[in-house]
Amino acid sequence: MPQLLTVRVKRPDGRPIRIWVPVLPVVLVFSPVVALVVLVAAVACLVYRISVVRALGTGWRVISALPGTRVDIEQGRSAVLVTIR
Amino acid sequence: MNEQRKDILDMLAEGKITAAEAEQLIAALERAQPEAAPSLDARPKGRAKYLRVLVDTVENGEPGRVNVRVPLQLLRAGVRLAALIPPQALGQANAELNKSGVPFDLTQLKPEQLEALVEHLDEMTVEVDQPDAKVRVFCE
Repeated sequence: MPQLLTVRVKRPDGRPIRIWVPVLPVVLVFSPVVALVVLVAAVACLVYRISVVRALGTGWRVISALPGTRVDIEQGRSAVLVTIR
Repeated sequence: MNEQRKDILDMLAEGKITAAEAEQLIAALERAQPEAAPSLDARPKGRAKYLRVLVDTVENGEPGRVNVRVPLQLLRAGVRLAALIPPQALGQANAELNKSGVPFDLTQLKPEQLEALVEHLDEMTVEVDQPDAKVRVFCE
């Protein structure tokens, strides 16, 4: 599971903004919302006749595979870097 | 190694060496195989962990760079997720693709085929060189 999300934005004026998001504490804080999203997803699976267990398992697999992802975009003096560890 | 073995068999077929000599050479090759194997393929199949996309561009005189690293495990998970798409949605997507002039039938795309594609991605390298842009897609 991802532990840390890092976002770095470099503005054209050269001032960088760095944001570190510890995933687990944020998920815990937003756990009611997460539970609601999971519930809605489960209902959607039932409506479309998809196995809820299989869907949740696959969703968890996608989330677990996220660490190591890195997106780095630079254009001129602006840049955005997103990394998931 | 297979190439060397083939050379030996060719020499035997051409009568350049005797069967006994061929046997000795093949035995020598087999003895040398464990030591030679790592150098034959520095990146063994299945070892690649990430798909990298590197794009270098120059737009309006300003250099641009895109560097994306995606774990192959994420692609595999995505394939499994795509397998959950309900047939109704695939039908709608097919209709939209047809409307856009892309006669592609997504229902014919089987998850196992996609998984095989992802498995073999580590052997793929795509390089596009243009005067104002350079694109590289590879696995590492």
